[in-house]
Amino acid sequence: MIQAFNLSKQYRKDSAALRDVTLKIAKGEFVYITGPSGAGKSTLLKLLYADERPTRGQILVDGQNLTRMNARRIAMVRRRLGVVFQDFKLINSRTVFENVAFPLEVQGKKRYEVSNRVYQVLKHVGIEHKMKRYPLELSGGEQQRVAIARALIIDPMILIADEPTGNLDPDNTREVMELFKGANARGTTVLIATHDRNMIERFPRRLLALDQGRLVEDRMP
Amino acid sequence: MRRLIYLLVRALRNMAQSPFLCSAAVGTVTVALLILAFFALVVLNVQQLTRHWSRDIQVVAYFDKVPSARRLDGVLSRLKGWPEVEGVRYVSPRQAYDRFFRRLGDDADLLAGLPRDFLPAALEIRLQPAARTSAGVAGLVERLRSSGDFSDLRYGQEWLEKFEAFLAVLRTAAVILGGFLLFAALFIVANTIKLTLYARRDELEVMALVGATPVFIKTPFLVEGALQGGIGGLLALAGGYGLFRLFLRQDLGALLLSTGLDRILFLPPTWQLVLVLTGTLLGFLGSLLSLRRLVRI
Repeated sequence: MIQAFNLSKQYRKDSAALRDVTLKIAKGEFVYITGPSGAGKSTLLKLLYADERPTRGQILVDGQNLTRMNARRIAMVRRRLGVVFQDFKLINSRTVFENVAFPLEVQGKKRYEVSNRVYQVLKHVGIEHKMKRYPLELSGGEQQRVAIARALIIDPMILIADEPTGNLDPDNTREVMELFKGANARGTTVLIATHDRNMIERFPRRLLALDQGRLVEDRMP
Repeated sequence: MRRLIYLLVRALRNMAQSPFLCSAAVGTVTVALLILAFFALVVLNVQQLTRHWSRDIQVVAYFDKVPSARRLDGVLSRLKGWPEVEGVRYVSPRQAYDRFFRRLGDDADLLAGLPRDFLPAALEIRLQPAARTSAGVAGLVERLRSSGDFSDLRYGQEWLEKFEAFLAVLRTAAVILGGFLLFAALFIVANTIKLTLYARRDELEVMALVGATPVFIKTPFLVEGALQGGIGGLLALAGGYGLFRLFLRQDLGALLLSTGLDRILFLPPTWQLVLVLTGTLLGFLGSLLSLRRLVRI
């Protein structure tokens, strides 16, 4: 599903965020990407959803080389990726419902199709009663669920989450992890960047460890 | 079609969602175009004035002696057949005397004792608008001279050259100033629209990240820019007409009417349409320029 060859990313000349990373993730896998702050976790994820281009190396998602794509084709790949951002990236001027509906709206889906699906997903993440609220009226945990709902609404081929439980209490963490596990059980490949050791121990899965931009460990549970 | 309506609705919703920024963009276009409209109004009326002045360009051809009726008819019909001639008027010695007498006014007694036919008979030849240039006048004078019918020709060559130099300066100034104003307007409009886009940068970013194509992201903003520009153009037109009615017709009128114009004009319908279309284009280009810098996909 995901293949990366000799992937490097340099933001500045004197330091590399990612160095020569080669990895392979199969369809339906659940993978943690871990490492200390500044290890290159977020950079790796950004390269996977083509928010950044690698300085060197190739990256293939579902057999398509992201490094050689134009903006339109990248948009088409992103329509099959669900991304939960560390800072949620919700649109504050839109309601919860509108935020979650956004990926389908962008794909030009019909209104009634969108409404039904949004309601189902909001119910699935347990926040359907707040669908008319605006993001800034919600707690951090609730905003996180909205972000997850937005990622799940397209039934993604790959679900990418950057520090999804960083600011959550243990109960919320468990519930969020159940959502990710549920998606994985339905066939979605899941990639989670985290430095939360507790979570990795409680829900053990394949682990890729980065340190100073290098892949230093690839361990199965 | 459904997609088109959706993009238009999104553009209108964007405008409704940020009324302050929308008003700022429309206001900027309005002010920029109002300045352009005012400038166009001045250019239009100065053009009208120069056209009015150019009607005075004429060649006066003097006969050596009063022509017989037959000779005069022959000369008149020949001249009227020339393409550069708009009209010819015969001034007899007696008519010339009367005109001179009137012009002298209180000093008319200077003419006492002179015979009433001491001034030569002449033809006043008006030129077609296209021939009202120093080259056109020179060509006509050459033909008149070679015809051998006249003893002297007067045509104010020096005045004509000055008039042409004035027109050239006016045209150059209009092009430079108009171009500068347009460029300044585009710069201001582009920056105002950039502010409105900057306020929505989170939305633009999320759109791209959830798989919106560049066309999908940009089109509503381009439509929005064009709509704001068009509305700004209409407001500038309305404002320009208001200013024209309240101030220009009197103030510019007082200045220009003293030079012989009979009335001051407002922009004709074609110019009005061009003003509104310029606003639309300014808004569209302003959005396009800002999007190119702001939307990274």
